[in-house]
Amino acid sequence: MFKLDHKFILIGASATAILLTGCLSSPSNANEVSAVVSPSSNAAVGHYAIKNKTAIDGGVTYERANGVETAYRYNEQNTKGVSFGRVATANEIKAWDIDALPDGTGLPEGEGSVEEGDELYEAQCASCHGDFGSGGNGYPQLTGGNQEKDENGVVKTLKNQRVYGSTDAPKRTIGTYWPVATTLFTYIRDAMPYATPKSLTNSETYAIVAYLLAQDGIKIDGVEMDDEFVLNAEKLSKVVLANRNGFYPDIDGKNGTDATENVRAFFADRAANIGSGTRCMTDCKDPGGIDGKTEASVVKIGYEMSDVSPAYSTVRDLPPEVEDKSISKAEKMYNDSCKLCHATDQMGAPAVGDIAAWRDVMVKGQEKVIYNSINGMGGMPAKGGNPDLLPSDVKLIVEWMIDSSKEH
Amino acid sequence: MNKEFETEELASVSRRNFFKRTATVSAAAAATIIAPATLLADDENIMHHTKWGTSLGKECNYNPYGLPSKYEHNVVRRTSPLMSSAGDMHAAISMTPLHELNGIITPNGLHFTRTHNGVAEVDPNKFRLMIHGLVEKTIVLTLDQLKRYPSESRVLFLECPSNGAAEWKGPQFGSLQFARGMMACTEWTGVRLSTILDDLGLKPEAKWMLAEGSDGSEMSRTLPIEKVLDDCMLVYAQNGEALRDEQGYPVRLMAPGWEANLCVKWLKRLEFGDKPWYAKEETSKYTALTASGLAIQHFYALETNSIITSPCPEKPWTDLKVGDLVEIEGLAWSGHGTIRGVDISFDGGKNFVEAHLKGLVLPKAWTRFSYMYKYEGKPLLLQSRSYDDSDNVQPTVNQEKKVVGVEGVYHRNAIHTWAVDAKGEVTNVQVRS
Repeated sequence: MFKLDHKFILIGASATAILLTGCLSSPSNANEVSAVVSPSSNAAVGHYAIKNKTAIDGGVTYERANGVETAYRYNEQNTKGVSFGRVATANEIKAWDIDALPDGTGLPEGEGSVEEGDELYEAQCASCHGDFGSGGNGYPQLTGGNQEKDENGVVKTLKNQRVYGSTDAPKRTIGTYWPVATTLFTYIRDAMPYATPKSLTNSETYAIVAYLLAQDGIKIDGVEMDDEFVLNAEKLSKVVLANRNGFYPDIDGKNGTDATENVRAFFADRAANIGSGTRCMTDCKDPGGIDGKTEASVVKIGYEMSDVSPAYSTVRDLPPEVEDKSISKAEKMYNDSCKLCHATDQMGAPAVGDIAAWRDVMVKGQEKVIYNSINGMGGMPAKGGNPDLLPSDVKLIVEWMIDSSKEH
Repeated sequence: MNKEFETEELASVSRRNFFKRTATVSAAAAATIIAPATLLADDENIMHHTKWGTSLGKECNYNPYGLPSKYEHNVVRRTSPLMSSAGDMHAAISMTPLHELNGIITPNGLHFTRTHNGVAEVDPNKFRLMIHGLVEKTIVLTLDQLKRYPSESRVLFLECPSNGAAEWKGPQFGSLQFARGMMACTEWTGVRLSTILDDLGLKPEAKWMLAEGSDGSEMSRTLPIEKVLDDCMLVYAQNGEALRDEQGYPVRLMAPGWEANLCVKWLKRLEFGDKPWYAKEETSKYTALTASGLAIQHFYALETNSIITSPCPEKPWTDLKVGDLVEIEGLAWSGHGTIRGVDISFDGGKNFVEAHLKGLVLPKAWTRFSYMYKYEGKPLLLQSRSYDDSDNVQPTVNQEKKVVGVEGVYHRNAIHTWAVDAKGEVTNVQVRS
């Protein structure tokens, strides 16, 4: 049944006259075809043994058995017991394991005030991130934005959508968007300043974090962060940012839930949570718009980006000549026209670099050697057999060959 | 001498033919009978010896590491200030020239590149990988020691979750390279993390893994253990050779089908823990803000997607004549599994026909699709729609927008539309409301 329908589709598809009128029939007369039972899903190609249909990401995982996994073979011999490397020393782990968790675990000792942070920020951060973290130079805006929440505890401005004529963008700053403040500390210490990452001390980092949090009016334990406020590990771990609960699925396993299962459940319902399509084949409707009923139309590019590097081109031609500075013009011409015979003495020609051979050649005098090279002599064709060379080119080449065959 | 004579001879034959042909045309015109074969001018490229056929070529190994023909100099990655912070190309992205690729393998030099703090140049002799945390045994590996573990190879697409991000609110790029070029597909070789963890012993409370890079941005991401044990790899080779610096030389994490950003480059440290870390690139960035004002975090797999690569703005149909039978070709991929099929629409999504998959059909890899079409010289709205073995179907712009809005930046996989005009020119449009 399916096979027959499939065949029909293929035959229909080859007749282009009906393509645009869209009168192709689909299996069982329905205008929607399930991805699962489509004709092509019965084909062996790309149809692999599935082990898990509810993988954490919503996808499938494949069976690995008898040396075969999907289209791949693998060595099924036991690898248990393969062991290389050495145990990490305690000091090595201490040196590298400097990350911090949202609850403050892992934050180092040290402290810094808002005022110290102000100075450091002005000197090392403002040129990119703008005064007070306000952005404006093309690099991320760090602070600002309205943190006010709606009745459901959602930061109101994050609901802004630039669609249906609305032009207000949602602001994604530390104050409005970032979920946790420990991220600020580790990121600034490990990855900033941009051109000299890892140059700030722990205390300097606390100071900059304090300064940025103060710009967004963050309170710690109900205390406002004024210029004298000093931030350390304990205080930073108490910061609660406005958007702490603005993310899903729940990866923290709140209220005793299993974080992994929360994620799995979220991605299991992809149609509801991230959007999915349907395999409609004929007379498909796709309404949208603010009312959900507006028919789709064709939207063209409003502003075309042309600032592209390298410039667009699909032409196959010779690239613009780039001078090879590592090699002289004479040597390049030698390589192209003379090297075949003169690289060694195998061809009976004096080899470049053979000091004795060239001493014998030079007995005639340089002018005569150049004359012979241009006009030919014995087994040596005129201009080395390359008529495109100018006499002046040959002169350059011979001078280079002589120079390369002298004692220096 | 003999060669030169032959060239002369061919040239003069060509000139004689020219006169003969002119005479034929006049006669034919007079009789109003046109025999097309006699109208054709002789091709100079056939009538003359070529330069490369009449001279000695370059030495066999003139370039010990081979490069493409010099005539291919326009087949390159491209970027734009828009793909960077303020035009600073250290935190930027360059795009794969999809319109010039064939098959499913991307050459290493054309693989898109994303850097957050420039391209790090790691000395392989100083490379160390530390694996610690909730494991029975912590280890430090040198590169040679890592390569001692049994290896596996997989052909996998790698896609930045920002691919197409500039087009949530409408089409922006008159180019396939910029509209979809933040992706590539290569063969990756390395060690399965499960093989190493077999030796180290994972503690039962281990739920998450932190992967940390050694570059200036110290790129860090948290992954769930399930994925780590399923198919994550520590890769050191790409298409048979060492990773390029731009791809994380000497070792990067490979999480098949998942955000390229999770496949941390210039890898330095893996730590196993019982809680997620909330690194900067999984909180302030790489989270998808939806219309509800809440954002999707830990957004892992790239959803089923497809794009027609021929025709496209860079490779239009302007050379076609009405009646020409031409192949429509494209790429489909899914981070959730394997591509099952692709449907093609010529009328902007009202009606679809089934395209044909061709070549290797591999999980979490680019899959080529093909459809033979008789060119009619009429305007078309060309679309492709993929579906995979995890029951995902690529959504329309409206279907995706309805669920996640237009401000999410990441994971855009809506059906793409090329408008083909009556002359065969191709432009980027969107069908939406």
